[in-house]
Amino acid sequence: MNTNIVVCIKQVPDVAKVRIDHQRMTIIREGVDSIINPLDGVALEAALALREKEGGAITALTMGPLQSQEALREALASGADRGVLLTDPRFAGADTWATSKTLARAISLLQPAVDLILCGRQTIDSDTGHVGPQIAELLDLPQVCGVTEIHKEQDALTVKRISDGFLDTLRLSLPALLTVSHELCVPHYIPLGRLERAFSDIPLTRWGLEDLGLREEEVGFRGSATRVTRLFTPPPRRKGESITGASSLLVEHLIRKLEALGIIDEEHGTK
Amino acid sequence: MHLELTMKQAVIRRTVRKFAEERLAPRAVQIDASGEFPLELAREMAGLDYFGLEIPPEFGGAGLDSVSYTLIIEEISRASAAMGVCVSVHNSVGAYPIYQFGTEAQRRSFLVPLARGEHIGTFCLTEPNAGSDVSSLETTAIRDGDSYILNGNKIFVTNGGVSETNLVFAVSNPSEPRKRFSVFIVESSRPGLEKGPIEDLLGMRGNAVCSISFHDCRIPVENRLGEEGQGLKMALSTLDGGRLGIAAQAIGLAEACLENSLKYAGERYQFGAPLTSFGTIQGFLADMATRIDAARLLLHRACRLRDQKQNYSSQSAMAKLFSSELAVDCARVGVQIHGGYGCTKPYAVERFYRDAKICEIYEGASEVQRMVIARHLLNA
Repeated sequence: MNTNIVVCIKQVPDVAKVRIDHQRMTIIREGVDSIINPLDGVALEAALALREKEGGAITALTMGPLQSQEALREALASGADRGVLLTDPRFAGADTWATSKTLARAISLLQPAVDLILCGRQTIDSDTGHVGPQIAELLDLPQVCGVTEIHKEQDALTVKRISDGFLDTLRLSLPALLTVSHELCVPHYIPLGRLERAFSDIPLTRWGLEDLGLREEEVGFRGSATRVTRLFTPPPRRKGESITGASSLLVEHLIRKLEALGIIDEEHGTK
Repeated sequence: MHLELTMKQAVIRRTVRKFAEERLAPRAVQIDASGEFPLELAREMAGLDYFGLEIPPEFGGAGLDSVSYTLIIEEISRASAAMGVCVSVHNSVGAYPIYQFGTEAQRRSFLVPLARGEHIGTFCLTEPNAGSDVSSLETTAIRDGDSYILNGNKIFVTNGGVSETNLVFAVSNPSEPRKRFSVFIVESSRPGLEKGPIEDLLGMRGNAVCSISFHDCRIPVENRLGEEGQGLKMALSTLDGGRLGIAAQAIGLAEACLENSLKYAGERYQFGAPLTSFGTIQGFLADMATRIDAARLLLHRACRLRDQKQNYSSQSAMAKLFSSELAVDCARVGVQIHGGYGCTKPYAVERFYRDAKICEIYEGASEVQRMVIARHLLNA
């Protein structure tokens, strides 16, 4: 039974390779590659596994500047059937709400109709985890976040996710949205021949504001409900001191220490 | 630093780097220590098209351009120079000549398994009495009805220990001064082909280098690659391409030396300061980085010429000459920066020092590269 899947991907800086300028407390982004957000790669791998079992088609979807087509082509090389790029100067500066609105509208316009939307649980740059759930709400779809296993039977999915130390098993009907966690699967390495072809032959679909039928106030910086007021790297935390030993000795040591720091007063208790 | 890469080339480089860091680098020490060819790893790489990089998809390859190809060899070599050589030699001089000079039938039966990495290829040129002096080679291929009979001894065959398909360079027409040599495709399973023990190498350990000898080895005429007497021309053309791969391999090695040196020099304190704060060390690092970038540009230029189907012999010789001597120098400076630690096994530069030397020797020694370049200068 064919399942039409959309995988939402985002191109992000390779945060693992980013260095910090400790003097100016800023991130040094020069020479840092842009990569597909790792959890989106997991989502794509999960989509490939589902298509292998059930048939269907996979659409890779991204919102970003023209440069983001690199991520789409990489997704095509991994095995996606088509790539859709939402790009428009007016989409810039979007917070997660405006982003979700744009993505959700695009998903609703895709033909054939989408059965399943897969997203990474969060990105390595913003880490919010908002976009998946917001898309589900906008499209009025059932959703589960942080999925670690997916099984499909007929028109329903059984999924597992870990939440607050509990392992939940949930069933959802399709269409639905899932955000995925690392435990779900490991993305395969892309054969080099596929990369060559993904960057040569295949046309991408490009949609702007008018194609989506949205208004300028609904997208981008103008359509954002939140503003980022400050971005900073917290100063490195000082290491605490750790003391071990028999309890009576520990208490003795601790009292001495707190007295020395002037936090308690031997005669009068805490200052 | 890579200049002017297309989006595709940038993604290819990133993809291979990821694979190399995750799958190759962790095994590099063990491959070097054991000196054993990593068969499982090679199989994994075969499945990802690493053994058919420049061969078109219709013959099972990835169909990549020269720039992409050399980026890949560089990234592999940064993690493991031994695997870089294996892949480069297989692609450039083992498989590509069959694509370039082979008949349709030869491409179908020999090239496809090579491109898929089901078979590994070699180019058997060097002999005990013929290294740089290629025309002194003595292996003979005597026509006998619808066969040739091969007799002779090839040494230092890269990938020899694990190959299924061997391109053998032999004298087929001793009396025709300019058309003495031909090239033959000889399967390792042919009776009369004998492989010697794997060489115990200084560096590039894990590469299955051995001698291959031929004792009345009979092969059908259909196994001859190209026309009789065209062997020298084919070999020179093939080696032009092979040099690009080796240049890339040397650059990858040099880059690894630089990265290791940067890291060590940042962490090692002497006279109350990290090594990086001393001018001498900064000079070492600056020179390494500058020359590595220069090597890349030289290589890039030669690749572009090749892809534009222009003559690139001199330029590829320059690239190979420059980057191979650079690799040796970077390894030397790398060890120097590491001091005594650089002479111990736990530090990667120790292996780089041993791996680097052969770069100045194989696929045309530096002296031969200089001859090629000089010849172009003097003929122009």
